[in-house]
Amino acid sequence: MAKVYLIGKDAVPGRISLGKGELLDMVLVALPGVSADIGLEVDLDGENAELNLYGLYLCPNEERLNINVKVAHNVGRCTSRQLFKGIVGGRSRTGFYGLIYVAKDAQQTKAYQENHNLQLSEEAKVETRPQLEIYADDVECSHGATVGKLDEQEQFYMRSRGIPEDKARELQMISFISSVAAQVEDETLREKIYDSLSEC
Amino acid sequence: MSEVLLEIKGLHAEVEGKEILKGVDLAIRRGEVHAVMGPNGAGKSTLSAVLTGRPDYTVTAGSVTFAGRDLLTMSPEERSWAGLFLSFQYPIEIPGVSITNFMKAAINARRKAAGQEEMKPAEFLKLMKEKMAFVQMKGEFAKREVNVGFSGGEKKRNEIFQMAMLDPTLAILDETDSGLDVDALKIVAQGVNDLRSPEKAAIIVTHYQKLLEYVVPDVVHVLKEGRIVRTGGRELVDIIEKEGFEKIDG
Ligand SMILES: Nc1ncnc2c1ncn2[C@@H]1O[C@H](COP(=O)(O)OP(=O)(O)O)[C@@H](O)[C@H]1O
Ligand SMILES: [Mg+2]
Repeated sequence: MAKVYLIGKDAVPGRISLGKGELLDMVLVALPGVSADIGLEVDLDGENAELNLYGLYLCPNEERLNINVKVAHNVGRCTSRQLFKGIVGGRSRTGFYGLIYVAKDAQQTKAYQENHNLQLSEEAKVETRPQLEIYADDVECSHGATVGKLDEQEQFYMRSRGIPEDKARELQMISFISSVAAQVEDETLREKIYDSLSEC
Repeated sequence: MSEVLLEIKGLHAEVEGKEILKGVDLAIRRGEVHAVMGPNGAGKSTLSAVLTGRPDYTVTAGSVTFAGRDLLTMSPEERSWAGLFLSFQYPIEIPGVSITNFMKAAINARRKAAGQEEMKPAEFLKLMKEKMAFVQMKGEFAKREVNVGFSGGEKKRNEIFQMAMLDPTLAILDETDSGLDVDALKIVAQGVNDLRSPEKAAIIVTHYQKLLEYVVPDVVHVLKEGRIVRTGGRELVDIIEKEGFEKIDG
């Protein structure tokens, strides 16, 4: 079961080490109104360790949120997957800085990282900076980052079915965050996350 | 003769600064099915988009009246509430939103606009089941994400499913028949034929004649280069089949 950390409420560990065969599923969530500077380093220190790291930040107003993540593959045969999604509106500023480090001997590493953002206003500032630092040669790594707006065709499709604009926007945001929100197993919390989209 | 449901007069519309519709006139009475045929790029989808209020299409001249109301001043959702429905030529995928939640939002929004309370869950489920059976979709369909991973035929059947759920007064089917096998085509045809009633009407946009064998139109229009160049009865379908669109003009 994925461990969920509510940023601004739960203390997010600064550094985690995963030993041989260990598995960690983790979700970081920042609800509207939370400003913070998060720094997290996960070291994959034993073979066949696996990290699934998800993040979600909803920053519709004046929030200032920075997330620094370093995932270090110090030994071979480990897998890390990262998926961070952000909805950024109003005059808030967010930064995602994600580094994947693969040591020289960490062969057969698999490391993936994605950060996707929905920018709701022109005044909002979204920064995303994925970085790869790879010293091994037998690796499978990928990263992707996007900053986009609500899709107009999708919105029109919903409105043509009678769903009013504000509700259509909300469904679009549900759609956008669903892949991360689905990792939150606690139903009450998941509902709380979806409900907070009405503030976005 | 029955009352005119949709009246389009001198409609001009542009997209990205380019004029596509160059003066369309069309009147549809309640109880009628009209076919709009024409070659690729004629402006058929543009006409569908303008009628349903797609924001990136600009009407530069003309008027459209729907059930006595000025359609062009209404938002897309208001047009839907008023009984207009478009089966999209290219249905949109909405990951993370189930068909159930999508339809619930659509149905309850319309009820809210009409000052009615939300549909009871049991009633909603019953309606879903009935309409899913109608388009021959299995139970799991309700849980699937809207159009995600659907085959071409499934997407079109989903459009017909939504049409049946929303029970529109005027349905516009934009190339709902393209890429369908005969079985799916029959489902689409049945969807339209079931909707046929003295109060309702449909526009079938197509550039094939196949669907029109199953749904026989009362009136056929040929749209070319943004204008309706010919209007006639169902015999026009055969003429088009034999001679193509090239020779047809006003
Ligand atoms: N969103 C758009 N942006 C630019 N041009 C468009 C757009 N939609 C349609 N067009 C142009 O308008 C013309 C008519 O297109 P369309 O209405 O899709 O025709 P049809 O449905 O009859 O094939 C075409 O030349 C097409 O390239
Ligand atoms: Mg078309």
